[in-house]
Amino acid sequence: MSTLIVIDQPPYGTWAGREALDMAFSLAAFDQSVSLLFMGAGVNWLRAAQQTNGIEQKSVEKNLSAAPIFGVEAMYADTLACAQYGLTPEGMVAGVTMSPNSAELMHQHTHTAFAG
Amino acid sequence: MSDNPLQNFTLVITGAPYSSQAPQTALAFARAAISAGHTLDRVFLYGDGVHLASSLSTPPSDETHWPKEWAEFLEQNVIPGAACIASALRRGLVNSEEQKRYQLPANNILAPFIIAGLGEWVEGTMASSRVVYFHAGG
Repeated sequence: MSTLIVIDQPPYGTWAGREALDMAFSLAAFDQSVSLLFMGAGVNWLRAAQQTNGIEQKSVEKNLSAAPIFGVEAMYADTLACAQYGLTPEGMVAGVTMSPNSAELMHQHTHTAFAG
Repeated sequence: MSDNPLQNFTLVITGAPYSSQAPQTALAFARAAISAGHTLDRVFLYGDGVHLASSLSTPPSDETHWPKEWAEFLEQNVIPGAACIASALRRGLVNSEEQKRYQLPANNILAPFIIAGLGEWVEGTMASSRVVYFHAGG
């Protein structure tokens, strides 16, 4: 069994993405195969050097950097969504694989769960 | 699905009652599934969905009481229902154990719902043939 957790919510303004990330970490903690796909406004999770002091929230960058350590197999970014949000590979955190065909990526996993 | 027409579902509800239709839609799905011969392995409340397990919800008498409806459905069909502990504590849903641990003035988990970790959801994904998510949408 392999699960793809799809984060399609922005990193701030809603808690849904954070809770979806916890789901991914939990699967990994139970030795289940899990990967993350960021699409829609969710690609903003992947921006490097996020400054969150002004909104009194922890930056999601730290959480994301823990993903490989927890055993999350891959982090994918939907290519079209990155283009829509002006996100280039240079402006992204490390370890992200571009996903030009996210529908196909979902088919490759036995379970797909959306953030909300 | 055609290979195995009878499914064993895990339902995940992430939308709160009275701010989303998620619990209502999930209950309609659950009732239809049971009456068609399918089984429900468990129901897991996550994110804002944990509000469904509040024993303090008090909607006006001419509105459906979704926490009670769900609690009765779970009891009648002997289906386990769990609310994620991290989601629940953030949102002020606590059982007597957590009340003691954090020295809170009250507890408010509606039986038969229990508070449990995300491992309960992970087990559901392994034990059931389908996992269906009910989000707030919008």
